[in-house]
Amino acid sequence: MPRLILFLLALTLLFPVSHSAELSSGKSGFVSHIKPFFKMYCVKCHGFEKQKGKVSLYDLDGDLGKGKALKRWELILDVLKAGDMPPEEEMTRPAKTDVLVVAQWIEAELRKAVARTKENSIAPQARRLTNFEYENTIRDLIGFRLKLTDNLPKDPEKPYHFNNTAEFMLLGPEQVDRYLENARKVMASAIVDPAKPEVHKTRREWQPHGLDRGIGVDEVGVWGNRRHSPAHGMGLKSFPDTGEFVIRVQASAILPPGVKGAPLRLILGQTIQINSSTQRVEPVGGAYVVNSIDEPKVYEFRGRIENFPLERGRVVRGRQQPDSRVITPQVLYDDGTLNDGNRNLTMPRVVINWMEFEAPVADVWPPAHHTRILFDSPLRKENPEAYVREVIRRFASRAFRRPASKAEVDRFAQIYKMVQPELKSMEAAMRETLAMVLISPQFLYHTVADGEVTTRPYELASRLSYFLWGSMPDAKLLKLAGEGRLDEPKVLAEQTRRLLADKRSKDFVRNFTMQWLSLVKMKTVPINNQLFPRFLYYVSAGERRGTEQPYRPTIRDYMLDETAGFVAELIRRNASAANVVESDFAWLNQPLAAHYGVLDIEGNHFRAVPLKPEHRLGGLLTHGSMLIGNGTGSAPHPIYRAVWLREAILGDDVSDPPADVPALTDTAGESAEKALTIKDLLAKHRQKESCNDCHARLDPWGIPFEHYNAIGKYQPLVPKEGARISGFNKQTHGDLAGYAAYLKTINTEKVEAAAHVPNGPEVNGMADLKAHLLEHRHEDVAENILRRLLTYGIGRELTTYDRYAVAEMFKQSVANEHRLLDMIITICQSPLFRGAKDKSTGKP
Amino acid sequence: MKSKTWHLNRREMLKGGGVALALPFLNGMSWAAPSKSIPKRMLVSYFSYGAYMPNGPAGIPNLNQPHHDWSWWPCRDAGPLTFNQSAKPFEPLKDYVSYYRGLDHAGGWALGGHSSGDVFATGADMVGTQKTNSISIDQVAANVHGHKTRFASMVLGTEGGTGSYGRSKTLSHRGPGRPIPSMHKPQKIFNRLFNPYAGKGVEQVRAGLKREASILDLLMDQSRSLKGRLGHEDQGKVEEYLESIRALEQRVERTSKWTHEPLPEIDTKGLNLDASHKDPKEYIRCMYDLVYLAFQTDTTRFASLMLESENSSQSELWNYATYVLGYKGATHDIAHKRPVDYSGQWDRWRAKQHAYFLQRLKDTPESGGNMLDRTVVLWGSAHPHASHSTKNYPIHLAGGNQLGLKHGRLRSFEGNKKVPLANLFLSILHAVDVPVKSFADSTGPMPEAIA
Repeated sequence: MPRLILFLLALTLLFPVSHSAELSSGKSGFVSHIKPFFKMYCVKCHGFEKQKGKVSLYDLDGDLGKGKALKRWELILDVLKAGDMPPEEEMTRPAKTDVLVVAQWIEAELRKAVARTKENSIAPQARRLTNFEYENTIRDLIGFRLKLTDNLPKDPEKPYHFNNTAEFMLLGPEQVDRYLENARKVMASAIVDPAKPEVHKTRREWQPHGLDRGIGVDEVGVWGNRRHSPAHGMGLKSFPDTGEFVIRVQASAILPPGVKGAPLRLILGQTIQINSSTQRVEPVGGAYVVNSIDEPKVYEFRGRIENFPLERGRVVRGRQQPDSRVITPQVLYDDGTLNDGNRNLTMPRVVINWMEFEAPVADVWPPAHHTRILFDSPLRKENPEAYVREVIRRFASRAFRRPASKAEVDRFAQIYKMVQPELKSMEAAMRETLAMVLISPQFLYHTVADGEVTTRPYELASRLSYFLWGSMPDAKLLKLAGEGRLDEPKVLAEQTRRLLADKRSKDFVRNFTMQWLSLVKMKTVPINNQLFPRFLYYVSAGERRGTEQPYRPTIRDYMLDETAGFVAELIRRNASAANVVESDFAWLNQPLAAHYGVLDIEGNHFRAVPLKPEHRLGGLLTHGSMLIGNGTGSAPHPIYRAVWLREAILGDDVSDPPADVPALTDTAGESAEKALTIKDLLAKHRQKESCNDCHARLDPWGIPFEHYNAIGKYQPLVPKEGARISGFNKQTHGDLAGYAAYLKTINTEKVEAAAHVPNGPEVNGMADLKAHLLEHRHEDVAENILRRLLTYGIGRELTTYDRYAVAEMFKQSVANEHRLLDMIITICQSPLFRGAKDKSTGKP
Repeated sequence: MKSKTWHLNRREMLKGGGVALALPFLNGMSWAAPSKSIPKRMLVSYFSYGAYMPNGPAGIPNLNQPHHDWSWWPCRDAGPLTFNQSAKPFEPLKDYVSYYRGLDHAGGWALGGHSSGDVFATGADMVGTQKTNSISIDQVAANVHGHKTRFASMVLGTEGGTGSYGRSKTLSHRGPGRPIPSMHKPQKIFNRLFNPYAGKGVEQVRAGLKREASILDLLMDQSRSLKGRLGHEDQGKVEEYLESIRALEQRVERTSKWTHEPLPEIDTKGLNLDASHKDPKEYIRCMYDLVYLAFQTDTTRFASLMLESENSSQSELWNYATYVLGYKGATHDIAHKRPVDYSGQWDRWRAKQHAYFLQRLKDTPESGGNMLDRTVVLWGSAHPHASHSTKNYPIHLAGGNQLGLKHGRLRSFEGNKKVPLANLFLSILHAVDVPVKSFADSTGPMPEAIA
């Protein structure tokens, strides 16, 4: 928008201010100028008969606040100011001065209409925790992570929208039912029985046999491991139901020349069979093994046993076998040539001498998470009733994210009294009592203004922590809230910085970014495994041949880490929003860097990699996550990418195509072979008036992405139109290098990536597109990010009533050159975020 | 296909009633005890984005052309059924199925082709007067007869949850603003249905429930007191919460009551509860199997199953046609592009799975007939064909022959004969003994369904 302010400013300099003064405010101005203007330039397409884009102007009058007119007026104002309407190709276009006068009148009237309403600062509404927030909150409440969302109904998802809005977060009996199940599960893990439990131990050793026949029996290679080697895992027949476990592994690496380390990962769950894709496993953790076999090192991994899938024991000859789990080590090395013949020995391997498992970890009993709830105190013996009340008070005060009231403690104490005689032990009774705390509305909903002014600072503490951590506030925030100091701008800025520096902010960035950029669907776009034979891992034999093998992270998985990590890094550096369009670094690890053609990156951890022009990376626009999600799996999809650019980056609201659109043609994008023709198909698309109205303003944004193929790689050459491409075939092509050579022979045509963007110049390819965005749409990009962050932060959609509050923040952001950390601070300090009832004073 | 054998546990059978003892131990016998009223059941199932209907505008075949071999409609003319390639899987079930042409919900017209699945089971007018969805047909029935079984109804889907306005992931709604989240993980569904005590003894469960009831009472009190102190917009949220707790209390009461009835024991051999979307046939059949088992054991009598939901670009449903047919593109693209070779194959694939379910019911004897005789199965979509119009749904009705429904015909209601789809819904409700006067925008029952 400020781009427009500049534009307006420039115009005001050219034309005397008196111009706008001519136009009287209110209804008379509407009658004298606005209505005739609409009549002349707009109603032909936006009238009673034709309502292009479902917008009509014929029924508007001079009262902007009336009914639902306000939103329409705002839209009119925005398109006029952006110069989007009337469309370029229209013969009769108003003079810029006329547009300016009209825009000024609308702006002035809009401001008045917004000021008149009481709603101008809608306080954040009560909404239940999203599943993401719920799991995080429990984690911080009890001190360890439990997998709980699996058991909850799925939260709704809507592309380019955040699911933390009150409108989405409904609650029904099924949800509460699962909350209750979860609450009991949580308390069963959090509170242990006093007697020190039996410790379950398993240990296995491997000897270096069979070295003469290639990979040894004590080794884990990337692929093709020996039977009975550690790669097939260590089975566990005995373990507790709940509790922390520790796995120790003595390991060392055998590294081929040029490779500096072996990325080792442990997974725990069911036995992985080579021809299966349905066994369930969860990662325990990873290590980058660099020490040689002469210096074996012990690596330690920890986790909670209840978070890992079980293999149910079978009934063998009428006897029930015990449940089991398997610990399986993996080497996640991938240089893009995996499975290309038997190259085990040229890839890094990990030697494992022994592995041991122990659970529960019982060095200190009861464990810290237990004593945090049932704390040590003489009170327990001397005055059990007071002790119970104190336990409840402490726990509920943390669970409710504010001090529990006496009445609340009373209720739960009553529950305790009721269940205790039956459940006997204090531990059991307390589990049941505190489980009820976890299904109370004070826990399940956040930012519930319960009308008592005293809780307002606590609400702010919660709003901050749910924004920047996706979880409950910590002791420090609650303390500041209790002292009434959190509302001070300086304190808010400090706390925002502190929260963002904490590792919990990673959850926020990932959750926010996934929804902001609508990335989920990249996981389900079906990748054409003939065109891209080694991009994902596939089961190579048996009944499930050709299905995806889900047990190791793929480059596609790393792409999500790339995008979330990149945004987090921008915030950490307090970099400008412009970096979203273009940056001098990328966020990569070795496999992903290899995929993008960036050389000399070691290891699977992500880090900022300085970019050179020939990498053709930088910003978000070339991220594989986005390019795959907005492709067909075989080819790029310019329309999807255009929608993405306009929605996620420019902040436009692109409406869905009408339901009854006829098919483009019968073959568009149907097969990889014909994907080439899509640009021509788009041209055909635009010949139809009904399609052209929207697509003329849409498609050009997608064309400059065409150099980036369906798996996010830069690809300047493509096959001739209509040419058939054979998929990878071992017999014909031999290996991947052979297939690459074949592709080279048929990829002979230059990709066409030039398009004339609406109200702009011709843009040829990604570099041009970025340059155009940076030069002309920089402020739109920044404002969009501001709006997205704000929407996410306050948990509701922004409306016209927020227009001027947002404008204030934007002004601040301009002053800060749109640096992202500063932008978040501005949001947290704003009256809108603080939930201040009165905008002018900022006081409740 | 692997053989699937679910034996009802003989011990439970003996407990169930003396009469059962005299019968030979049949594979998959209906569990409903003859001493009780014989159940009348209903399943509403849904597939997204319509079906292939070439040679005719708006889904109605062109009467001047021969019938298309791959049209979703089995034959061109109203009257006795003949089966084309697409409908072939239903041929063995000829006397148990009907096709209804020219029906739709007026309430869904304006909802748009990617959203009208929202109202398939409700007929609500979400765009116009109502703004929100309303009660679905399965819940109307469950409200009347649900108390007779361990679960009043069962709500299944393939993506899970409720979804949101215009992108529903469930067919079932308790009422306005009250969607019921669908369950989509086979193992979880199985546990909930057939292993509700999670391995605990009945006495222990009963004691637990008693305790829970009193606790929930206290919790209600506390939450009610909170409500008084809230701002207006937050009160609605707490009301939502209180309603849920109240429903939970009712569930506790109900579960308690049902602890006095034996749980059916089910041998899960051949039932792949780990089936995933990666293997659509296995997964979809597993969902159908779970409905079958729930019906067979009289665990519930009313179910909804959203086989495919719309707006599913973020789920594996998007890839079904790729996994099943090798189609290079999103499943939804089939609806837009209508490639001849894939459209018909895709429809037939869906028909095969549905026929599999119907056949299982038919193969299961029950009081002088079979289960399908007493189970009404609705299967359809809220769009006819390409281009997602929201009129003239593909509607397929099966079973309920002993409940008065007549089959073996294609019935057409296009043009002047047009009546609301809700009329058929009303007749279905009447068939399962739910004597309501109207449903959604119905103008009366549909006499054709029983003639």
